[in-house]
Amino acid sequence: MEAKDLFDVNLVFTNIPDILRFLPVTLELAFGAMAFSLIFGLIIALIRIKRVRVLSQIAAVFISVIRGTPILVQLYVTYYGIPMFLKYLNLKYGTAYNINNVPAILYAFVALAINESAFNAEIIRASLQSVDKGQIEAAQSLGMTYLQVLKRIILPEAIEVALPSLGNSFIGLIKGTSLAFTCAVVEMTAQGKILAGRNFRYFETYISLAIIYWVITIVVENTIKVIEKKIRIPDQVTGTVRDGEKA
Amino acid sequence: MIEVNGLKKRFGDNIVLDGVDLKINKGDVIAIIGPSGTGKSTLLRCIDRLEKPEEGSLIIDELKVNLNKASRKDLIAIRKKTAMVFQNWNLFSKKTALQNVMEGLIVVKKTDKEKAKKIAEEQLKRVGLSDHANHYPRHLSGGQQQRVAIARALAMEPDLLLLDEPTSALDPELVGEVLETILKVAQEGYTMLLVSHEMNFVRKVATRVVFMENGHILEEGTPKEIFGNPKNERVKEFIHKIELFNEPEYII
Repeated sequence: MEAKDLFDVNLVFTNIPDILRFLPVTLELAFGAMAFSLIFGLIIALIRIKRVRVLSQIAAVFISVIRGTPILVQLYVTYYGIPMFLKYLNLKYGTAYNINNVPAILYAFVALAINESAFNAEIIRASLQSVDKGQIEAAQSLGMTYLQVLKRIILPEAIEVALPSLGNSFIGLIKGTSLAFTCAVVEMTAQGKILAGRNFRYFETYISLAIIYWVITIVVENTIKVIEKKIRIPDQVTGTVRDGEKA
Repeated sequence: MIEVNGLKKRFGDNIVLDGVDLKINKGDVIAIIGPSGTGKSTLLRCIDRLEKPEEGSLIIDELKVNLNKASRKDLIAIRKKTAMVFQNWNLFSKKTALQNVMEGLIVVKKTDKEKAKKIAEEQLKRVGLSDHANHYPRHLSGGQQQRVAIARALAMEPDLLLLDEPTSALDPELVGEVLETILKVAQEGYTMLLVSHEMNFVRKVATRVVFMENGHILEEGTPKEIFGNPKNERVKEFIHKIELFNEPEYII
């Protein structure tokens, strides 16, 4: 064996198409969990802001537990917990849920979505509370209900504040999907492991994976920057002439 | 006919309003004057139910509401009949001047977009800001923002227009344009309740002046009565102090 055989540069790149076959699984998990977490996170944030009795305390405990335990542990808990729960239902109520019919991706989705919700709830709460009280009062004094104020005034402003943090959180989530193999989901990282298992070129495969995740992250970062720019109020007025300026 | 009865509001141990009664006839322009921190703004905010008073009722024509026990439906009903202009403008920063004025029409009055746009354009024209319809609040000066806020309030065709120190946060140079706008609105017959420290303006625009201190109304009357011949000792002292600066520095 020669020194140059230690690292197969070509393999790093020939691996990539094989791994990318499972990009859809990774993206499904990431986008699915993100979409769920935005809705659920908003609900939790509103419960916390409005200090809804009982629910508010439950939400606080929920956030504390999820943020205080590793995502890997959460994945294992759902992976073993959901079948156990179904079995319990079967035994107690005589139902006939077949545990084997539950697709593996569902476990990973549940764990990732719940984890992401807890983090996003706090981001959303902070951004909602950053909206100027005066504008909320102005909207209320026009006769709007709270839901109308939330939709028309608070959310459009809060999104601008929340976007950079939510983007960060989404990037974390994309990389978090690489843990889904613990729930027997074959996504990119799992596929990499399978490929490497055939030729024992683990190092090359992990380098391929690193490149893929890095590129995805760069794309996401730039997309968020574009959106940020789009929703920002322009520095210059368009369409009309300002006082004292010539047309 | 608008009536406020027995309005009481406290913040902790601090009694801000201690049983205020006020009758407002259609077309009245009532100016509330008095030292700072005596509940003038709070009175306005209680009428619009942005603050919840401990006691008090509000009657606007056939609408009669207990301000302490008002249901959500009552709140909306009150706010539909009133409109508020704030000290700090409080324009919606994510919306253009035109959208700011249209917002209430579309969301609350359910006016269709085309019609709302037309009304909003008319209102902006009325406050002299037709050229600025596409400007966001951050592109407008304080005075212009306040005029948009007035247009936004007027577009709702309120039975009662509440103006909470509309010029206090403005540069002296910009106060004039806002006062001019308010004067114009007053002359068109809007019923207004105005809190202001601009005494010369109050004298000019108000049909009735109310002097408030420590949560009580000490005296009310026409501008002539209050500024020319106040009866209450405290009001006399207040008027005297502000008149000091109006006198010429020396007379030959």
